[in-house]
Amino acid sequence: MQLQVRNLAKLYTQNRGLSPTSFDVAQGELIAIVGHNGAGKSTLLKMLANWIAPDSGDVIIDGVDLRNRAAAVRKIGFIPEDPNLFDFFSVEYNLNLFAKLSQTPLLRVEEVLNELNLLPFRKSKVQTLSKGLKQRVNIGRALLANPPLLLLDEPTSGLDFEMTREIYRVLNTMHDAGKTILFTSHRPEEIKNLATRIMVLHNGKVIFDGFPQEYFQSEIHAELYS
Amino acid sequence: MKNILLLALNDLAIALKNKTLLLVLFIPVFVFISLNLVDSNDPEAAKIRIGLIQDYAYAAEITRSIEAAEASIAVTWLEDKEQGLRLLNEHKIDGVFTNNESDRLALLVLKKESLHTIAIVQSFSALQKAAEGHRPSWIAEIQSLHEGNMQRDTLPTWILMVILLVGFIILPAQVAEEKEKKLLLGLLQTPIHEAQWLAAKLILGMVLIIAATLLLHLLSNFWPKHIFSYFAFILMGSFCFSAYGIFLGFLCRSQASARTLGVIFYLPHLLPSAMADVSQKLTSVAPFLPSYQLYEPLRSILLEDGSMENMLFDGFYLCLLGSLMFYLAYRLIKKRWLM
Repeated sequence: MQLQVRNLAKLYTQNRGLSPTSFDVAQGELIAIVGHNGAGKSTLLKMLANWIAPDSGDVIIDGVDLRNRAAAVRKIGFIPEDPNLFDFFSVEYNLNLFAKLSQTPLLRVEEVLNELNLLPFRKSKVQTLSKGLKQRVNIGRALLANPPLLLLDEPTSGLDFEMTREIYRVLNTMHDAGKTILFTSHRPEEIKNLATRIMVLHNGKVIFDGFPQEYFQSEIHAELYS
Repeated sequence: MKNILLLALNDLAIALKNKTLLLVLFIPVFVFISLNLVDSNDPEAAKIRIGLIQDYAYAAEITRSIEAAEASIAVTWLEDKEQGLRLLNEHKIDGVFTNNESDRLALLVLKKESLHTIAIVQSFSALQKAAEGHRPSWIAEIQSLHEGNMQRDTLPTWILMVILLVGFIILPAQVAEEKEKKLLLGLLQTPIHEAQWLAAKLILGMVLIIAATLLLHLLSNFWPKHIFSYFAFILMGSFCFSAYGIFLGFLCRSQASARTLGVIFYLPHLLPSAMADVSQKLTSVAPFLPSYQLYEPLRSILLEDGSMENMLFDGFYLCLLGSLMFYLAYRLIKKRWLM
């Protein structure tokens, strides 16, 4: 198993957060984590990305305990919902900085710019880019160190149809390249043909974990999204 | 070390982009220009400017004495009292002499306790003594321990102001901004250590402070006798208050709240230390503030040629407080406090 999650929990209040949750993820899976706002999707991803400390539980990625941050961050690429880049600076500056801090050769920046069709924007300041382009730069940053596991929190939130399609194209490409991907969405119809597995969170608990076909035929989908 | 340098250079680039660097360098230039305007050597500007009313019958010996002292007193003859009031309000003269009921002079000024009023009274007392043939004043000469001009005398206050500005206003806002925009969390997705990020911020604060201090000295063209002691205290002070500012930044979720908290800390630290010389009450309160442990050594080194040997406690205190603040900031970043 590439990712092992055991009794991972974080409760902000009695009804908000994530109740103790356990699951395994095999290499190459593309998992959509679905649920309404406040279901615990982002909390789960942020804990896996080391952004917030869990109340309890263990996470092992490729045999590395998440508590060993310096080693674990090399295994994870996290893309938050809102792009977090240095707005004053160019796309290239941002990617170069993160490449240097990740001890990644600068040649990799060229590859990432090329893979994500960002070459025409390399000299553009991040603050002048649209949200979709910023999100692509953010994905590029997460891909710099070539991590085997990608976590994306609402990657298409606030994006138009074209940009949403572009993000899903990028996800498919990454998946084809053998990466394991977990992403959150509250629009299950959109990811019908994308995910290889769906986890549904409701009130901080996993209420479904299985194949997309099973989920869309289940009563859970009808109840949650009718 | 490479990561710290990279992060520090990135922080400096941000400081340049968001004009923080310009603000820090503007202060010394502003101080230099304004003090040059105040500290004028122009003899005309040093003259006392008084108004005498044409229709009033001043005693002959008074007008004679005033005319004889033309090097230090400039007289404007006024048509009436109203014109005198107008010129006084426009700051074109410092005082107007009228007659009072007992045929002695009445002095009309803007403010009784001002330096201008004291200067007029002193000058006219001296003129009166000379005219009446009295013996000279008991005080023949005033000797000062602090030699120099206003630029030098106020230098410790300006340097304290710059250090506290960087520590309490600029750094907390920058730390909180990186938290608010999730940039810090983004940086922590790389293998850098939390302490490296903190060290880079510390370097940013110290570089800004040293740049501003250096510019202040270059512009005022004044260097202390014990330059090593001075530089050591600038380093210790910038370390202490930069660490303090980083810690304050971690207590806030947003830039706006960091600025508010910064001002709340900035003013109390600045006022008693910088104004302790003019108030007994402030003198007794000031030593309880960490800024005093920096201000006093700086003042002593700059104005009294003091050296570090007598200020080891102050240096130790600043280093200890800075280390404590750095440690607390480290604990908060580890806990991802308000991120």
